[in-house]
Formats: sequence, C-alpha cells, structure tokens
Amino acid sequence: MKEVMEEAVLLFLLLVIYTPDAQGTRYSPPGKPELTRCRSPEKETFTCWWKPGSDGGLPTTHALYYRKENSDTIYECSDYHTAGENSCFFNKNDTSIWVNYNITVVASNALGSTFSDPVDIDVVYIVKPNPPEKVTVTVMELKEWPFLRVSWEPPHKADTRSGWITLIYELRVKLEGDDEWEMHLAGQQKLFNIFSLRSGGTYHVQVRCKPDHGFWSEWSSTSHIEIPDYLHREKSMWILIAVFSAFIFLILTWSLHMSSHRSLKHCILPPVPGPKIKGFDKQLLKNGKSEDLLRVLVVSDFPPTTPSNYEDMLVEYLEVYVPQEQEVLLEESKDLHDSCLKFEGSTSDNDSGRVSCDSHTLLMDKCGEAKEEGRQTDQEDSTTEAEAQGQQKDWDQDTLMYANGDILSPEKSSGRVKTWPSVFSPLPQYTLSLPDQTSSLEMAKQHCYSDSLFCPGSTSSYLTHLGNNDNETLGPGSWEICLSNRQPYSHIPQMQTCQQVRSHSDVNISTIARKQEPAGLPLPFFRPTAYVEVQRFDEEDMVVLQSIVSDHGFHEGFPQMLQQEDYSKVKGVDSNNMLLLQTEAMKEDGDGTTPHKPTAHIHTVVSTQDEMAQPASGYVDTATIFTLPTY
Amino acid sequence: MSKNFNVDPKVLYMVVSSSAVPVTDLLDRASQRSDKLHALSTSLSQELNSHLPLIGRVITPRPSMCHTAALQTPTDKTQTLQLSEANLLSLARSLLQAWMDPLVDISTSANSLPHPARNIISNQVQELQEHSKSLEDGLDILSRKMGPVAQTISFLPYLRGNDISQDRISSLINLQFLMSCFRRDSHKIDSFLKVLRCRAAKLQPQMC
Repeated sequence: MKEVMEEAVLLFLLLVIYTPDAQGTRYSPPGKPELTRCRSPEKETFTCWWKPGSDGGLPTTHALYYRKENSDTIYECSDYHTAGENSCFFNKNDTSIWVNYNITVVASNALGSTFSDPVDIDVVYIVKPNPPEKVTVTVMELKEWPFLRVSWEPPHKADTRSGWITLIYELRVKLEGDDEWEMHLAGQQKLFNIFSLRSGGTYHVQVRCKPDHGFWSEWSSTSHIEIPDYLHREKSMWILIAVFSAFIFLILTWSLHMSSHRSLKHCILPPVPGPKIKGFDKQLLKNGKSEDLLRVLVVSDFPPTTPSNYEDMLVEYLEVYVPQEQEVLLEESKDLHDSCLKFEGSTSDNDSGRVSCDSHTLLMDKCGEAKEEGRQTDQEDSTTEAEAQGQQKDWDQDTLMYANGDILSPEKSSGRVKTWPSVFSPLPQYTLSLPDQTSSLEMAKQHCYSDSLFCPGSTSSYLTHLGNNDNETLGPGSWEICLSNRQPYSHIPQMQTCQQVRSHSDVNISTIARKQEPAGLPLPFFRPTAYVEVQRFDEEDMVVLQSIVSDHGFHEGFPQMLQQEDYSKVKGVDSNNMLLLQTEAMKEDGDGTTPHKPTAHIHTVVSTQDEMAQPASGYVDTATIFTLPTY
Repeated sequence: MSKNFNVDPKVLYMVVSSSAVPVTDLLDRASQRSDKLHALSTSLSQELNSHLPLIGRVITPRPSMCHTAALQTPTDKTQTLQLSEANLLSLARSLLQAWMDPLVDISTSANSLPHPARNIISNQVQELQEHSKSLEDGLDILSRKMGPVAQTISFLPYLRGNDISQDRISSLINLQFLMSCFRRDSHKIDSFLKVLRCRAAKLQPQMC
C-alpha cells in the first residue's frame, strides 16, 4: 500500500514538473550574473556589487570568488551582507592595494551554477568617497552685503590627515525654485564663500568631493538657508528715485511758470544778438565772400604791417643818393641783406635803442658785402626808406633815430644827400668816389663790428664803398651812412658803427671807405657808437663833424667817451685817399677818461683804391675811431 | 630590500628648518608633477585600450610581470604609513628611475604604431617623458636634503623587448602592457609623495 502511494506521488510530481507546456514555467540553471561595480570609499576597503541573472525559477545563490595576482589561491567573499544585497564587502584585512584582483561571481541553483565574467580591478582605481559631512551654511555680511559661508568636513572614513587620500571639493547653489545650479570648485579647502546672491529667498547648497584619481562622490544632503531681505540697501535706491523725481517736478513747475509769463522758448533759447562790428556789413557776411570780408576787416590806416623782416624797423639810415646809380646787384645785396638781417634777427639785442651800431649779430662778411652792394637801389630805397621812416617813428626814442621822412625819397638827382632834416640842415650834395669793388667789399667786411667780435680791419672809421660792381657807377657818389644799430637796411651795406654824417656841400670826398687792417687790435670793450654830424664842409675840403651826443646815450654805462672827443673835423684826404678825421678837443666832463688822444682819433678810416679818383661813398666811422687806441 | 618602518621625524624637521626653499614647497611641487604624470599615463592607457579592445584583453599580461615588480612596495595603508620619509622618497625615486629607459622604448614604438591616433599617443608619450624627467630632477634635489637613505636607489633592470621584429600586434600588446605597468607605478609614486607632503606640512593642514 505504501509503495503504491509513493509511486503515485512521484508520478504526480513528475507530471507536474514535466508538463511545462501546460503551466508555462521552466526551471533552468541560473542566468549569468554580472559584476556591476566595485567601489572603495577610502582606499582601505572596497565593495563589489553584481546583478544576478535569471534565477531559472529556482532559488539561486550567489557566491563571489576572487584571486589576487601573484597568487593562485582563490578566496571567497567573506561578507555578503554589510553592503546590502548582491554585494561583497572586502574589509581591511582582505584589501590590498596596487594589487590586481580577479573577481568572479557564481550563481548557482538546483540545476546548476553559472559563472560571471571575471573582472580585474585594482583598488586604487575605484575610489569613490562618501559625500562630505557636516555641511554648514551661514549668512554673513561684508559691508552690508550678505554672502554665504559654506563649510564642511571630509567624509569621516577618508583619511586625509595622513595624506593617504587627497580630496578636492565642489559645491553648488541655487535659489529655491530655480532649475539650474551654480557650481563652484573649491579645491582642497573646506571653506567657501558665495557672493553671488540675489535678493532675499531660500538657497539650497550641496557639496561633494573627489579623490585625486577617482570618482566624484554623491552630493551631500541639501542645506537650506534663508537670506533676509536687505531693505536698507534698497532704501538708498529709493532715496535716489525720490530726489530725481523731485528734481523733475521742480523743472516742470518752473517751466510752467515760465510759460505763463513768457514764452518758454524765449526763456530757454534767448535771441542771438547780431554782430556789432563797426563798419562791418552784415550783408557782406551773408554774401559769403571772404575776400570782401577780409578787405573790410583790414583797416586802411592801419600802421604798415610788419616788414618782411622786423629788422627793417630798426633800420635807420642816412641815404645819400647818387645820381648815377646803377642797379647794382640788388638781388645779391638783398640776399645778403636778408641773410644778414636774418642773422641779426636771430640774435635779439635787448637794447634795440642803443646808439651804438655795434651789433652782436652782424655777420661780418655778408653784411659787409651787403653794405657795399646794396646802396644802389633807388626805387628800393624809396620804399625801404618809406618803411624805414615809418619804422623810425617807432624808434623815435631810440637815439639812433635820426632818419626821417625826408630821407625817404631817394631821388635820382645826383648827389642829393639825404639827411635827417629834423636834426640837421640839409646837406649839400657831395660826391664820393667809388672805391674799387673788391676792396670795398673787403672794407665792408672789415667794417663790421660787433660788441664782442673784433672785426678785422675795424680799426678806424671808414667809408665803405658803395656799389661794388664792376661799373664804377657811383658818379657823384653819396655817402651812405648806416644808422642802424643792428639791422642793416637792405640796400645799405651794413655798418656796425654808424655815423651821422651830414654832408654840407657837394664836395667830392675822395675818401676811401676802407679800413685798415687792425690786425691784432683788440676791442677791449664796447665801442660806444658815436654819432658825428657833418656840420660843414670847409673850403679846405674838410668835413667838420660834430659829434652828437644822444640823450639816451649809452645805456650800458659805456664810458662816455664820445662826449669827450669830438671827431668832427675831417682834416683831409691824404694821398692814400684816406679820410682824415680830426677831433676837436672838446673835453667834457665825462665819466671816464678817454685814453685816446685826440690826435689818435684822427684816423683815416678807409683807403680807397688808387684808381678811384672820385671820392668814394662810404661811412665815416668815428665811433670806431675813438674807440681804437692810438697807433 | 629591507624595510625600514621607523619613522624618523628628526631628520625631516631638521631639513625643514634649514633649507632655503622649504621642503614643503618642494614636496608640493613634486606632488603636483607626479599627479600630472599619473593622469597622463591613465589617459594614454585608456587611449591604447580603446583601440585594441578584444585582443588586448584576452592576452593582457599579468601585472606581476612588470619589471618593477621586483621592488617591494607596501600593499596597504598601514604598511605605507609605517615607512619613513627617506624610505618613501627612495622608493619613489627608484620607481621613477626604473622607467626612464622603458619610456624611450614606449616612445619609439608609439611612433611606429599602426594606429589611427598615433599622433595623439606620440604626443602624450613625449609629454610623459618630459614630466618624468622634471620630476626626477626635483626628487633628486629633495633627496639631497633628506639624508643618505633617501638617496639610495634600487636598481631595477629592464629587459628590452627581445624581438625587434615583433609583429605589430605583439608590439601593440607589449605597449599596452608597459603602459599599464607604468600607470600603476606612477600612482605609487604619487601616493608616496603625497604622504610625504602631508607629513612635512604639519603646520599647514590645508595641504592634506
């Protein structure tokens, strides 16, 4: 009986088991499990998780086996529970680093077991720490501006103190309700300030960490912090708005007020006054013709505009007009003159009114040449004289100013001596012989003086030749005496030392404007320029020169030697065609003593050419005379 | 090689107080460089693996065959922290020195790779060599400040690839193997230096 029962049960069981079609279930060995991941939180332990395959309808068990490199021993996981289901936890004793683990999971059930694929891991490569702990967020203030201070601690398991693990941190912030987080990388520090806060509200903060060569941890639990509204910050803005609106209100009120009394337009845009220039024609302006305008602006009686060179203004001269003047190389002289002028102009002499013609700046050579050459210009003279006259008016104060308007008109008439009528009586015409051309040039050169320079040949007075050209043009000749202290006139050869010469008669003075070579003669001091006035011309063919002492005198305190000596007498012309000047002993009480003897001052300044029969026009440089020591 | 588990703080502190450039700074710089070295080796290793998946995985030589396996190194934290500073430095220097020649070989074979990413790999290998060299120099300087023990270097012979005429697959596999060995060793170096850094910076906990 029992045996029948057992067989029936077995049969029943078999039927049940082996009728799958009817029931749809089938038992099979377990499916292949799969190791999903292994992680180590602190490089001291690690855990592996797997995913089981199908269980085949039967209870299956899993087992994990591992093998370390260098060893063939197979170990089984000793802890399947600490880490949860389907996990294996390797404790410290079982964990070795820098060692490869070969891990396999086996699933087994009643029908069999299935091995998973083996996995090789090295613990140091699978480090994923726990999230940071004790995250604290506080609100702090910096100059009335709030910011968040977040601080945290590393996960307690990670040993960062010994340097076993090096962690870097990252945190993220967002306002409640926002979708996006604001990320901040914090490096190895455990403290972080967040300044990018907006208005009041609730903020969420989270922190996570990562080892130097590993995986990021999970985010820490969210910390909530509430930022109060900072009204006082906004208060300042309200104040600003209030002030601004008050200002606008005031403007509106004022504009309304203005509009009620007067046209607002009139207030804001007052009428533009028209121009009130005398003699100015608005129509001209409207016509828009600039030329007319400019012409109108230019006043006719405006003092003559500045000459080409301001030196011209300083030029005074006595021009003795030679009738038969020829056009000497005007251009050349002019060029020279210009160059001289320019040169002179460059160095400004403060004391423009100085009587002495000594000029620091005169270029000897050029000036000398210019002196001689430029004399011829008639027309030029006229204009220049006119200019000079005009300029001279300005220089009235100047002691040098002796020229006047009468000089201005050079005439072609021969032998008219132009003088300064205001000062002197008109001089009779006289003629001077023209010296040789070259020599005149030389002499002219030599006659250049400067205060400091020792002009070669500036020994004695001289008469420069005028018109140094091949043609002995100067018939009657004329004296041209340069008055300018500094700036020679264009057509007048420059003469440093100028004399006022008055020719009293029409006498041929065969004087030669030629200075001796005063080689080695030093000019010890300033040569005060002396002005000599030709008073008369004696029958003896003597030119009496009267020294003229200007009131202005020699500002620099020159020894008033001029007062003491009077070289007003032309003794005569010697055989050498030298003009001998003679001083009249008129000692005045002067400041200084004159070392010069009267006789000494009788120098013939220049020697003309022997050929020159005619008296040369030249300059009598009495100043030089007296300054020079006797020899 | 005998392990010296005695920590000798006197040597370290003396060094710290007398050096012109603080040892902490030197260690910090060395740590940064070793960090970079390991990162480079990791990326290079992954680059190689990605292009040679199947074959490489199957025939991957075991890491115990690395030529530096002869050098005994700690295998867990306890052992590591027991090492003296001089020992740690000596180990790091030995490992680094052992890789100077192999890196040349790696560079050569990387240049002749039948590999689509050959240029990238070559560049990375070259960068690797540069970093290794500079780290070696830095550790040299450090070792002089830390006494004779730190200056001893264990010699680890490296046997070049026997067959120059290796087929390409074999050379590639060899390359992968070498890179995996180097990756691990660079991690060891990095770990030792960071432990050293933290020990030297007692007054600067933020370094740890």
